[in-house]
Amino acid sequence: MAEANRGNLILKVKGLKMHFPLRQGMLQRQVGTIKAVDGVSFELREQEVMGLVGESGCGKTTVGRTLLRLYDPTDGEVLFHKEDGDWVDVAKLNRKEMKDLRKEMRMIFQDPFSSLNPRLTVKDLIAEPIIIHGAASGSEITARVAELMEAVGLKPAYMGRYPHEFSGGQRQRIGVARTLALNPRLIVADEPVSALDVSVQAQVLNLLQNLKDDLGLTFIFISHDLSVVEHICDKIAVMYVGNIVELAPTDELLRNPKHPYTEALVSAVPPADPLIKMERIILEGDVPSPANPPSGCVFHPRCRYAADICQQEVPPLVEIGPNHAARCHFAHELELQGVVNVPSEQA
Amino acid sequence: MQEIYENEQLLEEETEESSDSYSQLVWQRFSRSRAAIVGGLMVMMLVMLAMFPEFFSPYNFYATTLGDSYIPPTEIRFFDVDGNFHFRPFVYKQELAIDPVTYQARPQIDTENRYEVQFFVRSWEYKLLGLIDTDLHLFGIESDEVRIHLLGTDRFGRDLWGRIALAGRVSLSLSMIAALIAIVVGSSVGVISGYYGGKIDNAIQRFVEVVMSFPDLPLWMALAAVIPKTWPPGQIFLMMAFIFPFLRWAVLAREVRGKVLSLRETDFILAAKEQGAGDFRIIFRHLYPNVLSHVIVILTLMIPEIILAEAFLSFLGIGIQEPLTSWGFLMKSAQSLETLGQNTWILTPVIFIVVAVLGLNFLGDGLRDAADPYSNL
Repeated sequence: MAEANRGNLILKVKGLKMHFPLRQGMLQRQVGTIKAVDGVSFELREQEVMGLVGESGCGKTTVGRTLLRLYDPTDGEVLFHKEDGDWVDVAKLNRKEMKDLRKEMRMIFQDPFSSLNPRLTVKDLIAEPIIIHGAASGSEITARVAELMEAVGLKPAYMGRYPHEFSGGQRQRIGVARTLALNPRLIVADEPVSALDVSVQAQVLNLLQNLKDDLGLTFIFISHDLSVVEHICDKIAVMYVGNIVELAPTDELLRNPKHPYTEALVSAVPPADPLIKMERIILEGDVPSPANPPSGCVFHPRCRYAADICQQEVPPLVEIGPNHAARCHFAHELELQGVVNVPSEQA
Repeated sequence: MQEIYENEQLLEEETEESSDSYSQLVWQRFSRSRAAIVGGLMVMMLVMLAMFPEFFSPYNFYATTLGDSYIPPTEIRFFDVDGNFHFRPFVYKQELAIDPVTYQARPQIDTENRYEVQFFVRSWEYKLLGLIDTDLHLFGIESDEVRIHLLGTDRFGRDLWGRIALAGRVSLSLSMIAALIAIVVGSSVGVISGYYGGKIDNAIQRFVEVVMSFPDLPLWMALAAVIPKTWPPGQIFLMMAFIFPFLRWAVLAREVRGKVLSLRETDFILAAKEQGAGDFRIIFRHLYPNVLSHVIVILTLMIPEIILAEAFLSFLGIGIQEPLTSWGFLMKSAQSLETLGQNTWILTPVIFIVVAVLGLNFLGDGLRDAADPYSNL
């Protein structure tokens, strides 16, 4: 079944905005707006893995949480293709409809230390979504939990233990098992490995890759580290201050970046061959605050190619090639440096 | 698929040995504090005394013997007048004689006969815990000629030791019930305030501030004073138990709200929402268990506060009424300086109050340190 659906659209996000009011004082008067996500659009096909990368504070986590309605979006559409074939706008569902949909869209949280309730056993943690959605009862739950634990490489015998008895990698596996409990179709993985040791990161990444292949899952993979997503993602969206600045298939993006910000990110990825010398592009300054973004192109204060137009006009997202778009006035003109040797597809 | 995970099994071996549950971890930490253990023992002793006062009391503490009023504590001896040691403690017969100069009652000891203290003796009948008929007592003297009063007697000739044990029942249970009510109200309000936040939180917190700024003693006194003395004792007891939480819940509501406020932003609450959990489930399965340890600590620290407040009101005579008695009420007769000057032993309930308050405070401090075993073990 999974194979047949491959390539069908599963998610269409149009102009997604998430503005947080900035309140102050005793009366909680609104004194400003943080435009954490400001008009993000993308499409996702079934069994595709999309990477969402950017510096911290660029709004990638907010995008993930808004997609799952952990925040109510200010504006925009999140169209999801349900298993029964209907398209629904996630942004407009009521509480009950949303609860139903949560079976199909799930999230893996960043920090495996704080995302597991310390007072619940592994069994309770993994069974929680099953119980909430009434998907099984009695001994079926135990059997299902055991099955899930095995699927993520944990011994079912550890079912009665508490999260504090596990290492970071193991905890994240518990988080993954919990996410898989209801056979979701779309998983938003919010920096699932960034809180882990480097040695464990690869194991969890391999696990996710294998689960994706075995279960035919669709992933949105949020990360601040291009080198983490490049192996697992089919395409990558680069975010900067609440917006996607470049969107392209992984190879294309790494080899042929069209946005100066992407160029800088790509230059930070260590090349596979240590003999290759690459120019590291060091960006000056900090990410601007989404409460008070710069005029024109939000990247212009840090861009080494910036011209006058960049300060005045907001650049549109322009198509450059097939499936390749960049939000830059000079996307067609600039000759930017990509990765010299893109690592071959992961075996 | 199995091969892929095989090499990762290695990772799991490190946690092979059996694990500790939350309560075991708490106990490990708790038992490290000597003060907490001592406090716990002090509280346990008092609770035992309060649960089985009839068993510990050699005489019926309801029966009044006017001729025996204000008998000083009986001396328990191991050495007789000749200096011989006796393994079994004994008492001498004691009679009160009036000092011809000061007209004060002076105990006269008759050393002719030794009366040995018996353990597990059978004397007056009672119902253990109000259920089991028995006449077994911890100690006593099988002779009608002498009486053993560990802490003397009160104005009506009742054994003060027995009265104190009985009073402990009221003092402890009243303060526990009152603290429990305060805890239930306070933590519910706190959880609601912290979880829903926004305007609800703002309104609740302003109200809490008003409640906290109330002077508590005058309010308690006023409320206790309006309880009709003609009410049945059980009803008076219940009313008293409801008076103390009146202001005490507010402090707790504030603390729990702070805890919930910080928990609300944690990932596991977000994860619960992401799983589709409703407010009810989030509050009772995820928030409450995580603030519970904190709440238990506050409970143990609130009980001594209420013991003291109750003792104060009862001492003034506006709290518990006869036939009930509490530690504070027992000392009511000490209000008269003349009585106190001649019969200093009527102040002994103070010792029990001090032990209870200290014990509970030690216990609470130990629990506070132990309640969160996940932090810097």
